[in-house]
Amino acid sequence: MRVALFVTCLVDLMRPRIGFAAIELLEAAGCEVVVPPAQTCCGQPAWNSGDREAAAKLAKKVIAEFEGYEWVVAPSGSCADHIRTEYPVILADEPAWRERAVALASRVHELTDFLVNVAQLAEVPGNFAGSVTYHDSCTGLRSLGIKDQPRALLAKLPGVELREMAGAEECCGFGGTFAVKFGEISAAIAERKCANACATHAAAIVGGDLGCLLNIEGKLRRMGDAQTEVLHIAEVLTRKR
Amino acid sequence: MSSGSRREDILGRVRARLGRDAANAAAGRAAVEATLAAQAQGPRPAVDTQDSALARRFVEKSLAQSSSVDSVATLAAAPAAVARYLAGQNLPPQAVVWPSLAGLDWAGAGMTIEARGAVDADLVGITGCFCAVAETGTLMLCGAPDAPATVSLLPETHIAIVPASRIVPGMEEAFALARAELGRLPRAVNFISGPSRTGDIEQTIVLGAHGPYRVHLVVVTAEE
Amino acid sequence: METGSRRFKANAAAALANPVLQGNLRMAKGKFIDKRAIAIKEIDDFEATREAAKNLRNAVLENLDLWLEKFEEAATARGATVLWAKDGAEICRHVVEIGKKHGVKKAVKSKSMLSEEAGLNHALAAAGIQPVETDLGEYILQINDNERPSHIIAPAVHKCLDEVADLFHATHRTPRKTGIPALTREAREVLREHFLTAEMGISGGNFLIAETGSVALVTNEGNGRMVTTLPRVHVVITGIEKVIPTLEDLATLMRLLPRSATGQSISNYVSVLTGTKGPDDHDGPEHLYFILVDNGRADVIGSEFQDMLRCIRCGACMNHCPVYQTIGGHAYGWVYPGPMGAVLTPLYLGIENAIDLPHAATLCNQCGVVCPVNIPLPDLLRKLREKQVERKLRPWSERIGLKAWAWAASHPGLYAFGARLAARYLKWLAGGEASIPVLGAAPEWTAGRDFPAPEGRTFRELYAQRKKS
Repeated sequence: MRVALFVTCLVDLMRPRIGFAAIELLEAAGCEVVVPPAQTCCGQPAWNSGDREAAAKLAKKVIAEFEGYEWVVAPSGSCADHIRTEYPVILADEPAWRERAVALASRVHELTDFLVNVAQLAEVPGNFAGSVTYHDSCTGLRSLGIKDQPRALLAKLPGVELREMAGAEECCGFGGTFAVKFGEISAAIAERKCANACATHAAAIVGGDLGCLLNIEGKLRRMGDAQTEVLHIAEVLTRKR
Repeated sequence: MSSGSRREDILGRVRARLGRDAANAAAGRAAVEATLAAQAQGPRPAVDTQDSALARRFVEKSLAQSSSVDSVATLAAAPAAVARYLAGQNLPPQAVVWPSLAGLDWAGAGMTIEARGAVDADLVGITGCFCAVAETGTLMLCGAPDAPATVSLLPETHIAIVPASRIVPGMEEAFALARAELGRLPRAVNFISGPSRTGDIEQTIVLGAHGPYRVHLVVVTAEE
Repeated sequence: METGSRRFKANAAAALANPVLQGNLRMAKGKFIDKRAIAIKEIDDFEATREAAKNLRNAVLENLDLWLEKFEEAATARGATVLWAKDGAEICRHVVEIGKKHGVKKAVKSKSMLSEEAGLNHALAAAGIQPVETDLGEYILQINDNERPSHIIAPAVHKCLDEVADLFHATHRTPRKTGIPALTREAREVLREHFLTAEMGISGGNFLIAETGSVALVTNEGNGRMVTTLPRVHVVITGIEKVIPTLEDLATLMRLLPRSATGQSISNYVSVLTGTKGPDDHDGPEHLYFILVDNGRADVIGSEFQDMLRCIRCGACMNHCPVYQTIGGHAYGWVYPGPMGAVLTPLYLGIENAIDLPHAATLCNQCGVVCPVNIPLPDLLRKLREKQVERKLRPWSERIGLKAWAWAASHPGLYAFGARLAARYLKWLAGGEASIPVLGAAPEWTAGRDFPAPEGRTFRELYAQRKKS
């Protein structure tokens, strides 16, 4: 299986190790991984800010770059959903482009969903041990149905103890541009999420979307917690002791 | 602007926004009439209608709505059951009763009744019901000169006599019964599910807001 | 129009800084949510019921003019008078005229959000008619200097027991009570007197039924029944979008409304009221008026926001909204808070009068998932953002920033260079620490949390190196 990795702009800028972990996982599942070099951003910030023109421009760029591959995988439910669900909406008025968006959509997957449901990864490469709690990111959960997939993968690590937090499905308060437009509200929501996560006394808070994780990590550190790790699911699945 | 021209103004803008014209108006009217004629039901939760299952569900759901329930074999036995309930609640054996129920032998059960609409001072109100809904444990009361709405509303205690034969699965059957038996809806149709309540202070449910504190149901099991 | 909806940010900041409110919000959070989650399991197929409700509401909106005519015809045939109002001022004028015509001195009110839209209580008082709110929550707010509701179902959800106890003690001049049942009884006694003496009852309407010309009222306290049974005049104030075709449709919607609102299988009282008191009836109003209100609704018909008019006012979207849970309802600044309010307020008051509201959401879609009529609230919020961009209502800095970023993102070489620079700069800012406490470029972010430091090199940079070696 030939897979194009959509790295996401946040992973590219902030946490390259998540991108490498994603490649390792995909290769472990027997995929040949390609990283189209000119990729930038899926355009979600523009779309969610109401800038349809910019969103359409970036959508076309991503479609042109990725439509030639059998599969497209992103280590983010939010970006994967944007390409899958929103591109056909964004390009609704341009039939030719819309058709290309639709043709691409069904081949785009969030990482854990792809590993479990498409590539059917048998063994994960890491041997992480410790207690973790999982934050379900909103778009992945509610639009793509990412709920059991990361948990199924965590279950392949015998040393991992999953401690579900109260309100695991509640928003962490990130919301993309929301976090920089309404910082106070966003941080107050994040505080609730961190309190719920910390109440499990898990050693690490794990999730599938870097935006949420940066928000949670930032709040956690501000609250004075320097111990609890905040990790992307791909990092957990590939980490070696 | 007069109300008549305001009507035209508002409807006119709705029509404009809908792109209404003579051709689609005819189709629209046909759709409206078809919908009214079809009286189509939405998806329904399963309600067991076998034998006594309806009455059992009605009782179970009524209890869940904080009503209390008693049952008697015949309508004639209802006044004694009511008197028993009032004695158990340390309430005097006096009540305002729907005129439609005035013919029962209340005196024989030791009760003093007045058949009329209720006033503020009435402590106990006794009603029948048009029918009852098993799905949710709900009474359907249809207002009428011999079934005043105040009797189920003003007194602190509401007692309703519910013939088991009048328990229907859902609200749909209740409305169908009203259409069949009454022709048109009476002024006041009240669906009542337990005592009045409020959760407006700290979302803590308190029984007895403006209506009754207690709803007691006397189910009459005999076939009519 | 001067409204609090223009001051969302300041309102929200005040809400966050109010420890009593924060305590009350924490206490309230989750109660409705947990009960709803259990209640929707009772109807075997919630999703199918939701879909049916959505379809029936859509079908009405698609022929709204004809359904309104149908309703008017049926209601009039039963002796009701149907009036129309373009805006809040016309609602007030109608109600005051009705009051004067029938010699009304006191009006008891069952909860009506439209009367909030209109500021009706103020108009009634000015006309010498005493308005008395009778929903317990609304009553608490009325005696607290006419405070606005913060929730459409639980108007006083932002208040705690202690605050209500103080308020009753001060207003009723009775010994201070500390239990919720005792306070509820005190309100019952005070309000019972008003029910018995008012000449006019004013209610909203949960639904108007076209088949029968009826209004359906859903309440738990019984105040809706009092207001529509005892006074000799009853005025129903509802939006034009509230029509439903048949009694069967009411049955369908009643499976969703109480479950979504308070997590009840059914509300205590569902009243279907048709026409006026008959000659031999003991009770009921002699005069019944319907005021059908536009106030911005007609212009939403046929627009890309029409889905919003399906709303049945259950409040589930706000109960489940992380932003509402954090700041409460007052911050939204007008009648309707939470996600439905963030859509309705700009539609009804003008997009330019509620610039922040469509952005004050994380688009987490918890609201869309719980909406009993499946309104795609996040999509509508996003569309409102689009309207703001089209009308150039966003701040210039945001517009330029977005354009510059989008331009860069379409030029991969430039973008990669910029990303490499940013990764290094942020890493340098962190100075070897794991996170950055103050970031000038994102002050809103670092006001309440740190900004985690990047690794220092971009993925694509490292990937290219790895490929080479």
